[in-house]
Amino acid sequence: MKTPQSAIFRYGIGLSFVAAALGLSLAFESIVRDGFLIFFLVAVILAGWFGRTGAGLLSVAVSMVVVGYYFIAPYRAFAVDVEELPYFLTFLSSAVITSWLGSARRAAEEKQKAYLDELFEQTPEAIMLVDLQDRVLRINKEFTLLFEYKLEEIVHRPSIDLIVPRHLREETLRSRERLSEGHYVNVETVRQRKDGSQLNVSEISFPVVVNGERIACYIIYRDITERKRAQDELQKAQTELAHLSRITTMGELAASIAHEINQPIGAIATNGNAAVRWLAQKPPQVTEAEEALGCIVRDADRAGQVIRRIRSLFSKNSTPMVQLDLNEVVREVLVLTAYETNRRGVVVHTELTNALPPVVGDRVQLQQVLLNLILNSLDALVTITERPREIRIKSSHSEKVVTIQVEDSGNGWEEQHSAAIFDAFFTTKKNGIGMGLAITRSIIENHGGNLRAERGKPHGAILTFTLPLAGRNQ
Amino acid sequence: MKSTPDHVFVVEDDASMRVALRNLLRSVGLDPQLFTNAQEFLEAKRTDGPSCLILDVRLPGLSGLDLQRELAESGVQIPIIFITAHGDIPMSVRAMKAGAVEFLTKPFRDQELLDAIHAALAQDRIRRHQQREVSELRKRFDSLTPRERELLSLIISGRSNKDVAAQVGTSEITVKVHRRHLMEKMQASSFADLLRMASALQIPYTKV
Repeated sequence: MKTPQSAIFRYGIGLSFVAAALGLSLAFESIVRDGFLIFFLVAVILAGWFGRTGAGLLSVAVSMVVVGYYFIAPYRAFAVDVEELPYFLTFLSSAVITSWLGSARRAAEEKQKAYLDELFEQTPEAIMLVDLQDRVLRINKEFTLLFEYKLEEIVHRPSIDLIVPRHLREETLRSRERLSEGHYVNVETVRQRKDGSQLNVSEISFPVVVNGERIACYIIYRDITERKRAQDELQKAQTELAHLSRITTMGELAASIAHEINQPIGAIATNGNAAVRWLAQKPPQVTEAEEALGCIVRDADRAGQVIRRIRSLFSKNSTPMVQLDLNEVVREVLVLTAYETNRRGVVVHTELTNALPPVVGDRVQLQQVLLNLILNSLDALVTITERPREIRIKSSHSEKVVTIQVEDSGNGWEEQHSAAIFDAFFTTKKNGIGMGLAITRSIIENHGGNLRAERGKPHGAILTFTLPLAGRNQ
Repeated sequence: MKSTPDHVFVVEDDASMRVALRNLLRSVGLDPQLFTNAQEFLEAKRTDGPSCLILDVRLPGLSGLDLQRELAESGVQIPIIFITAHGDIPMSVRAMKAGAVEFLTKPFRDQELLDAIHAALAQDRIRRHQQREVSELRKRFDSLTPRERELLSLIISGRSNKDVAAQVGTSEITVKVHRRHLMEKMQASSFADLLRMASALQIPYTKV
């Protein structure tokens, strides 16, 4: 931080301390006997401290001459009496030692400081030191590179006015408050550069405490724009994969879907004909016709609902995270799979706990999870002929989580595959691509839950997932 | 001919479709009985009369085709009109071979269904009429003496009284008396009438 002083300056300082000591010694000579000892030793220490070793030694030498001349008999002569020699030598050795101690201590401290300064400067994280009023005391090289502020542009100014975007001011003030209470604060947030452009950072801040007193705070920034982007890309890729797999799944359910839409349409046509016939009678049977028309409205609504649900499953857009009842999600999915389960002679038993507390989630993705689990079970049951083809869906909850379990009476998987069943591209199906469970698990984990698979006893598979109750989400 | 009221049964698991069928059938003066699955239909007490069954192919549990087989096996003769959301050819062939009246794919034209229902009811009425007639004839036939039955099978083979008398070893006059008696008992107005009755009763005639 400081420029190294020139040698002349340093030696000059050493000599001025000696001169000051001489002046003080002469001034107090009549009052304090041998007061010079103190003054010269202090001068030597200070010369060694401020002027380093060379200046210290010079001041020792000069002091020796001056002391010999003024304060050691014979006085005012560049000579030392023999009987005064031990006294003089004692002074000399004390001076050498103190000077050396002073300069050595100084050198050690400077080294220490240099180590720390260098670390502060060269660390690849942007570091800012602020006082308790959030005024910038110091920043490092990486900080100037990241935020494009030079020290002189930022020093002594509140950092919150400089690098915190306006919309995050309140939030930042709150986190600074926690910091001033002595907490270690670690957040991922957005900060702005000098030109106002914004960047994603991880911000770690902690107080500097000396003797139990907070004197300043370090705030360390790491640019996570890249990481954030990579994360976003990954998220996007996962969403797309989930979407593709959803479309594949929906393909498998085409017959089921057609049936689900055809049913109300058939009913509408039939009710329409009934209404026409009632009205064609003489006299027209209005009440009866009205009843048929009411049925048409209801069935059209039902068809519309099915179509909306299917469209949302086909949609690429992610739906918002909302509070939802997983029992309802189970029932919605069972509507879509009803035809398929029926066609394959599979009986679905549901044991849904009433008044299930809500969870927070993306309805479409959670429907996809259940679709995947149910279709997996359906596929597992294809070859089963010697026992009933059954799927059992249970819901339950604890104080923390809602649990949904899908159990089938299929053949499950072999023990040695237990570890691999969630792996991408692992499949025991002839035509499977092995993405279903991998995607299912990533959806559940993105919702803060977990998915596990057990082999049923004596046969079958039990897939269980839990989701945190609304309000308990991390 | 229309002495007992017509019965239309509907077995359909989809509530919308079930109600729609009821509305349609009521609008043409029929009063269908509705069932949500095959088991319910099997367990229900069905009143006697010309009937037909409108049956969804896909039903939870026992399917429509299963029910058709079950009814046939237990000797219940009821004309069946199948309705299905996705009829495939093998399925419809199977149903028709097993005696279904019609196989309609949803959504169907109402007239198609109504025509099928009327055809089915007509068919059932004829069947029931024939059945009644046969059982009446059977009653008359049962009132014949063994001798008369023996003579009947010889007479309907088209032989003269003389031939018949020779065959059974009696006089022609005795045959004539028996013949008059059995014609009376069978309430046959002519020889042709007697022949029709014999054929309805599937009485074997004695060959020469």
